[in-house]
Amino acid sequence: MNTNNGIWLCLHFSQLPIEVFDRHQQEKPVVIISRQRVVYMNVSAQKLGITPGSSMNTAYTISEQVVSFERDEEKELATLSQLAQWAYQFSPNVSIKVPHSILLDITGCLKLFRGIKNLKATISEGLNRLGFTAATGINGTPMSALCFAESGFAESGAEKASIEIIHSDRVADSLHPIPIQFLRIDEHIQNTLHQMGISRCQQLFELPIDGLNRRFGIFFTDYLQRLTGEKPDPQKFVADKPRFRSDVTFLSDVTNTQSLVFPMKRLLGELQDFLIGRQLLVNQFRFKLSHRNHSPKEFTIFLANPDNDAQMFLILSQLQLDKVGGMPEIDNVSLAAGIFFEAEADSGDLFHGTQFKQKDGRTHSKAEEARAVRLINMMTARLGPQACFGLSLANDHRPEFAWKPVTMATKDCWHDDQPSGNARPLYLLPTPKFLSPDVPYLSGKLELLQGPERIDFGWWDNKGIARDYYIAQHHSGALYWIYQHLHDRSWYLHGIFS
Amino acid sequence: MGETPSNKSADQPLDSLLQSAGLWRASSIDCHVKTNCSSGFSQLDQELPGSGWPSDGITEILHDQSGIGEFRLLGPALARLSQSQNRWLHLVSPPYIPYPPALLQAGIDLTRIIVSQPKTLKDYLWVLEKSLSSQSCSAVIAWPAKIHNKQIRRLQLASKEGNCWGILFRSEKMSADSSPAELRIRLRPAARIKDSSAVSLKILKRRGKWESDDINIEFSDQLQRPMPGFNEMIVRDLGESSMVHGSLRDEEENFYPGPTTPDPAYEYQ
Repeated sequence: MNTNNGIWLCLHFSQLPIEVFDRHQQEKPVVIISRQRVVYMNVSAQKLGITPGSSMNTAYTISEQVVSFERDEEKELATLSQLAQWAYQFSPNVSIKVPHSILLDITGCLKLFRGIKNLKATISEGLNRLGFTAATGINGTPMSALCFAESGFAESGAEKASIEIIHSDRVADSLHPIPIQFLRIDEHIQNTLHQMGISRCQQLFELPIDGLNRRFGIFFTDYLQRLTGEKPDPQKFVADKPRFRSDVTFLSDVTNTQSLVFPMKRLLGELQDFLIGRQLLVNQFRFKLSHRNHSPKEFTIFLANPDNDAQMFLILSQLQLDKVGGMPEIDNVSLAAGIFFEAEADSGDLFHGTQFKQKDGRTHSKAEEARAVRLINMMTARLGPQACFGLSLANDHRPEFAWKPVTMATKDCWHDDQPSGNARPLYLLPTPKFLSPDVPYLSGKLELLQGPERIDFGWWDNKGIARDYYIAQHHSGALYWIYQHLHDRSWYLHGIFS
Repeated sequence: MGETPSNKSADQPLDSLLQSAGLWRASSIDCHVKTNCSSGFSQLDQELPGSGWPSDGITEILHDQSGIGEFRLLGPALARLSQSQNRWLHLVSPPYIPYPPALLQAGIDLTRIIVSQPKTLKDYLWVLEKSLSSQSCSAVIAWPAKIHNKQIRRLQLASKEGNCWGILFRSEKMSADSSPAELRIRLRPAARIKDSSAVSLKILKRRGKWESDDINIEFSDQLQRPMPGFNEMIVRDLGESSMVHGSLRDEEENFYPGPTTPDPAYEYQ
């Protein structure tokens, strides 16, 4: 009795150990070494005749152009989970199959992508853009899809057939021509099966299940039943908090900051895809420039409003990059973002660029709003987040606390419906300037025009004030806001009626 | 017939003179000045081209003494800009805190105001140029300590591009030098006549006209109205020698967070 397992798509990244270092698949021969032996190599290296298992010395003898990297399995896993995050745009159910595969449950999303063919095309186009190569396998159970992808069976044609198999729900039949070394079974079982003269799945499936159970154990038969869909095979889906991290490694060191623009553009493009795929926005992201011989340099770009526009991200990143300055040598650029906001559905601007008069009498347009945010973003990127702020009232009677700067991101303004009736100066001194101990005097006498306005407030928080405020005129004609300290009777200048 | 060549030769130097860009003729001025934002003061509106403050270009306000109404002069116009447009009023490195309660009293919408404090001269000029040309500011106000004509010309172009009014507060001693700014106004304290404060204003440079006479602009703020029953305090006239604290003007440099040192070789990108 077959249980209906839906449709599974598996992406197998056979070149992942290389692609974590070099996604371009450039002309340069690249090899991955582990314990002084070549374990993976790219096409150029293969053409030169470098084979897996050859020593480093052999590789260098064949060509001195060879670039080598020590295999980094941690990085492979990180990249794989990043790819799983990326694949989330196609299906909500994505699971990682170590070492180099990810599985997507595409049962529910075939309609959205108008069929398997279109979905496959979209995925491979996206992977191409990212610079990864993957073999695809589609079948009715997770394990069989994985098997297809790893064996490269689906790639070798018979795509139409595979779709029919899914529809008729006969997974076992579809697996018949697959050699048994592509099954995920222990090596010693594989060897025993080979000794028994069994090389393909068809022969394996013809054996009675009880006998296999007795001979190889429950784990083996359980795997076979999950493979053919006789037993359900629940998968552990990626359900992490979304995080974005991606990097570009340069084969030769980059010394010019300008040449970082292109890789940064690519990373930001990936970030944009990530954000759009998950309907998220980001308000800060972080670049890290590193080199094996130098300490890394990091810089963060803050945005006034969460956004997902890669083009603007690039402008801001360039500004920031100019500010921090580059490094003498760079061999890796990485981009990370961890704080996301839900994107609101944007209804778009039907009358593009048209100005509307709003209820409050302002003219308003989407384009204008975007420009206003852009200016803030650019200034924050160049001057830093503290150097640019808005103004707001604050709920306090003390003149120096009756206002506050507000960051453009939060805009937590406090509104006073009934502003004070007493005149206030347009310029306030950051700290009151001491004038004289007994009479108001500032390089000439000050004539008191209006006052006093007594402000005695805040004794409870140790910043209390007790002052009599006056409007005073200098002999030159300038109007000042001065006060007399109630306790020691000395005079201070606090504002200018500019 | 014989006269024609002689006429021609007489006209030619005049024609070539008229062609030269440096010559300015009253008849050829651009009469179609846009109707601009009213300054809120009728005497000033009469004098300003387009009967109001310009909507773009650089306006220089030259004054030495602060506290004579240099900002209050802009108040009504800034209030209208902040209320009618969805664009920013950008204050770049103000010398003191632009005090929000007073801005609100002047009718300016605080949510439209941004203040920036660039640390270096390069950043300062960059911010000015970017915000002028960004089309997202209705007015950009700055208090440059030192700025070169070449830089002002760039700002003038940027403000035209971004349809933004650029206001530069500068020292009165700059009035002797020429400037690429479109409108230049000199402010001096006015003699006190009535309860309301006033400022004496002279337009040094404007489109289509020569410089104006001194105009007294009265503010309707009643700041100078002495309080009823308020006894004016007798202030001892201290001599300069006994003055411990310097004049305000000296101290002002310290409040100004922006750059003060000019860099003649400087080119901003």
